[in-house]
Amino acid sequence: MTAVAQPVAATGPLPRSRSRRPRSERSLIRGALAGSEADLELLFRRHWPRAYRAAFLIVRDHAAAEDIAQEAFVAAIRRLDRFDRRRPFAPWLGAIVANRAIDWARARSSRREVAEPGPEPASPAGPPASRYSEEVLAALAGLSPEHRAVVVLRYVLEYTPGEIARALELPRGTVNSRLRRGLDALESRLREVEAR
Amino acid sequence: MNAKRALTRFRAPDEPGAQVRAWPAIRSAYQDRLPVAERRSYRRPASALAAGLVLLGALALSPAGATVGHLISRALGVEHASPALSSLPAPGRVLVSGPGGTWTVAPDGSARRLGPWAQASWSPHGLYVAVAGANGLTTVNPRGVPQWSLGRRRVSDPRWFSPSGYRVAYLSGTELRVVAGDGSGDGVLAAAVARVAPAWRPGRAYQLAYLTARGSLVVRDANSGRKLWSARDGAVRELEWSADGQRLLAVSARAARIYTASGRLLSTQASPGGPILDGALSPSGRRLALVTGGVGGEVVVEGQQPQRVLAGAGLGQVAWSPNGRWLLISWPAANQWVFVRVVGAPRIFAVSRIAQRFAATARSGFPQLEGWCCTAAGAG
Repeated sequence: MTAVAQPVAATGPLPRSRSRRPRSERSLIRGALAGSEADLELLFRRHWPRAYRAAFLIVRDHAAAEDIAQEAFVAAIRRLDRFDRRRPFAPWLGAIVANRAIDWARARSSRREVAEPGPEPASPAGPPASRYSEEVLAALAGLSPEHRAVVVLRYVLEYTPGEIARALELPRGTVNSRLRRGLDALESRLREVEAR
Repeated sequence: MNAKRALTRFRAPDEPGAQVRAWPAIRSAYQDRLPVAERRSYRRPASALAAGLVLLGALALSPAGATVGHLISRALGVEHASPALSSLPAPGRVLVSGPGGTWTVAPDGSARRLGPWAQASWSPHGLYVAVAGANGLTTVNPRGVPQWSLGRRRVSDPRWFSPSGYRVAYLSGTELRVVAGDGSGDGVLAAAVARVAPAWRPGRAYQLAYLTARGSLVVRDANSGRKLWSARDGAVRELEWSADGQRLLAVSARAARIYTASGRLLSTQASPGGPILDGALSPSGRRLALVTGGVGGEVVVEGQQPQRVLAGAGLGQVAWSPNGRWLLISWPAANQWVFVRVVGAPRIFAVSRIAQRFAATARSGFPQLEGWCCTAAGAG
């Protein structure tokens, strides 16, 4: 018996991508399926920010958003072999994120254990957008999780209304009306900011 | 700026940091994923688990099984055990409690005593610990600073709802009680329950599995109080949901049973030898570690490739590392903790003098493993 202990999980910054040429998504998925961790890492780096951002906008809790985005990735990895590679990866992942985020937000609101917190501050690391980020959060706070999800899917993850309808299993008309209401709320709030 | 543009330019808090924290967990999940050639089984984890459980019995009788990974020690304790823990082999923190109180063990091996409590449980992200004492339930932060307390008699087995931590279930005498994560709204969910730790179904607010005093396994909605399903399962000593909330493990001395989330019995595996002392599902939910007692005690990890990773008399408990690559096995009879790597190249090392490390003695009882926390987001 040997007495050897070595940490097995990296906790430091992610290594830089080794590939100079952008790889196609299909190629990365094929590589990940064949066992290439580097390809998986590229796929992860490509899709993580928007997945996390989308989850945060829906649940407005950064720790929960991290968990949701992470769990969505894990779920996607587990189902990767069932993924239709002719389709883009982002909408597939986004649907998992959005549905999990909606479930989480519903569960939280079903019985609040603590006073509902105000929206967390958005990232200070985005100077051009930061002034509006707070307002975006505040405006979205007035919408239900389901409404927020529709807006986020459309304008953060760039789904088409048809894709949103399929992902959330909603009628197309409901998607459109929720989009309209969400945008109206946002624009009204942003106009107030501009007027200050 | 119009609304669409504002959304496009929106940035969430600490996006780069969140990415760095997430990657180890994603990579670990990927490494645990089955090879493409085994996809058929991978698609049906329940079947795989059931098959694994069946294999478990065969493995225990198989001479080949006895040499898997060359990790078996038949002596009392692993040779060349280190007298001190210099580091944990995987990220996270270990929670321990027993006669010497409640302790946390940091990745660098350092231990911190939180207080004098006999039982404890991590919150889902390791931000708090619920501790149980004779006179109440308390939550403390990882530095041991109390957050709130409830005065109740004979409190034991606190368990947090995952992933939000918005509920804590615990036993008080023969009552099963549920309190909100901030200490408010405490109430009885069920009376006349058995002295078995309840188990929240992860991600399903708020379904709780517990055992009645008459030996019925019950899953109940803690908000509405509605019973979702029940089953007769005898002398269950441990309940645990898989991380995805799709399977419920019920461990008794003689068998490990797996139920679906709707209460259908998927598989039953009788103990291969002595009584089953402890069982733990891996973070992925696809592997099950079982500890059996008696002179022929052993630790078996079932899954696609079942492994008997340790054998010896007087074994105790087992806990998975958060990344699912290591097992921590307590061995009271040898006064050791044994770390065994079960993913990748086999590796084993042991640490001795564990009772003394946590201010316990052989007479007062060996420290209990309460969990190895957490996801990449917490307690790393």
